[in-house]
Amino acid sequence: MPSYNLYMGCSVPANYPNYETTLFRVADKFGIELIYMEGVSCCGSPNLRAIDYMGWLIVNARTLAVAEKNGHDIVTPCNGCFGSLKDVYHFLTHNADYKEKVNAKLKKTGVEFKGTIKPRHFIEALYNDIGIDEIKKKITKPLDGVGIAIHYGCHLLRPKDVTEFKPEIFDDLIRVTGASVVEYPLWKQCCGATVLPVNEELAIRLARDKLKSMKEAGAVFTTVSCPACGNQLDLQQLGLKESYGEEYNLPVLFITQILGLAMGMGDDEVGLEMNRVPAGPILEHLGG
Amino acid sequence: MTETEEKADPPAVMIEPIDISKLDPDFREGIRSMPNGEELSACFACSTCTAACPIANTWKYKPHQLIRMILLGMREEVLSSEEIWLCLTCFECQERCPQNVRVTDIFFDCKNLAAEEGMIPDSIVGLAKELVDKGQLYVVTADWEREDMDLEPEVPGLSTEEFKTILKGTRTGQIVGGDE
Repeated sequence: MPSYNLYMGCSVPANYPNYETTLFRVADKFGIELIYMEGVSCCGSPNLRAIDYMGWLIVNARTLAVAEKNGHDIVTPCNGCFGSLKDVYHFLTHNADYKEKVNAKLKKTGVEFKGTIKPRHFIEALYNDIGIDEIKKKITKPLDGVGIAIHYGCHLLRPKDVTEFKPEIFDDLIRVTGASVVEYPLWKQCCGATVLPVNEELAIRLARDKLKSMKEAGAVFTTVSCPACGNQLDLQQLGLKESYGEEYNLPVLFITQILGLAMGMGDDEVGLEMNRVPAGPILEHLGG
Repeated sequence: MTETEEKADPPAVMIEPIDISKLDPDFREGIRSMPNGEELSACFACSTCTAACPIANTWKYKPHQLIRMILLGMREEVLSSEEIWLCLTCFECQERCPQNVRVTDIFFDCKNLAAEEGMIPDSIVGLAKELVDKGQLYVVTADWEREDMDLEPEVPGLSTEEFKTILKGTRTGQIVGGDE
């Protein structure tokens, strides 16, 4: 069974233990071994990339180099970490001069970036290394008829030549649970999380655009593969009550929570009470 | 279409005139030599990037204009613009550019140049301080929530020391100031 280096990043462990625990519970079902990486920290986020490109390259190249020691690919549950690691991996494997510069800095820390392992999003590894047929066998409590809108997240999808992620992966992982994928016009659009530090009003508007588009298309739940997107779409629903007087009541679940529920895990096992917009009433209504 | 006798006079000033003496002819090459800036001059100003941007309607300078401004050498205007910091980094513009100009990446390059000159929004300087002080953006505070979820109270393997040391030695260290 596959083993991976697990790169948690900072947001999931601090803000979303429900995502972290379901990651392990789902991995367990398939005998996937997730090894917490030793001696690593944050990816720095796009904010670090904006002000200190070299620093951002070095810290992420270091994370990749640490994983190279045991040879297992990295998986991460965060689109932000995925975007940083993937971009740095892509850039350094295409720019030999930068690779040299970065490695000169890394020498002091005792590691070298070679590019021998790949950074991947957990859901891509699950999809490609386990496969949809195997996943299907574990679905014991199908979410038949539930309309789920997927928020893929910018840094999972783009830039396409860097992320190499196909949106169909996410679609199939939802469909295998018996749920249907609700198509909505703004499926590609940003949730607004990245602009939160510089313009909160704009960030709220963007969350509203997304939620409105999903709701109008008939979504019962929305699902995410990123703590920043999850936070933005879940938390801002409270803010939207105040600022726009609008209620969306659209529960935002992490993909591993959806998979967990469909695999028969209980509400407490998937940490449903940590989701701010309650999903419980809808699940009860479905006869769960 | 019916022709009318009256023809409106062209407006006296359609856009703010560009002061040629203020242009920096090296700016374009500077950006081109930065990460993913190579395709910059392939821009033919079709403004597909602007059409793809979810927030360009709120911007004074639209993405295609910023690219044009870089090509013209309007260094000061670009680097002091608030637009580069409002960029969502959603990569919608870059993904759709028919000329493969890496628009979002180029805005990252612009932010790096602005940062080098100390032009960074306070909120982002605050985040840089967090990174250097704490070694991560978010720190576990509610460890009981983790235990409730059958997780270790502290994140296994987490170590922030190397991260902090690296960033103290790069531009982030200069931004947050001194040896701190």
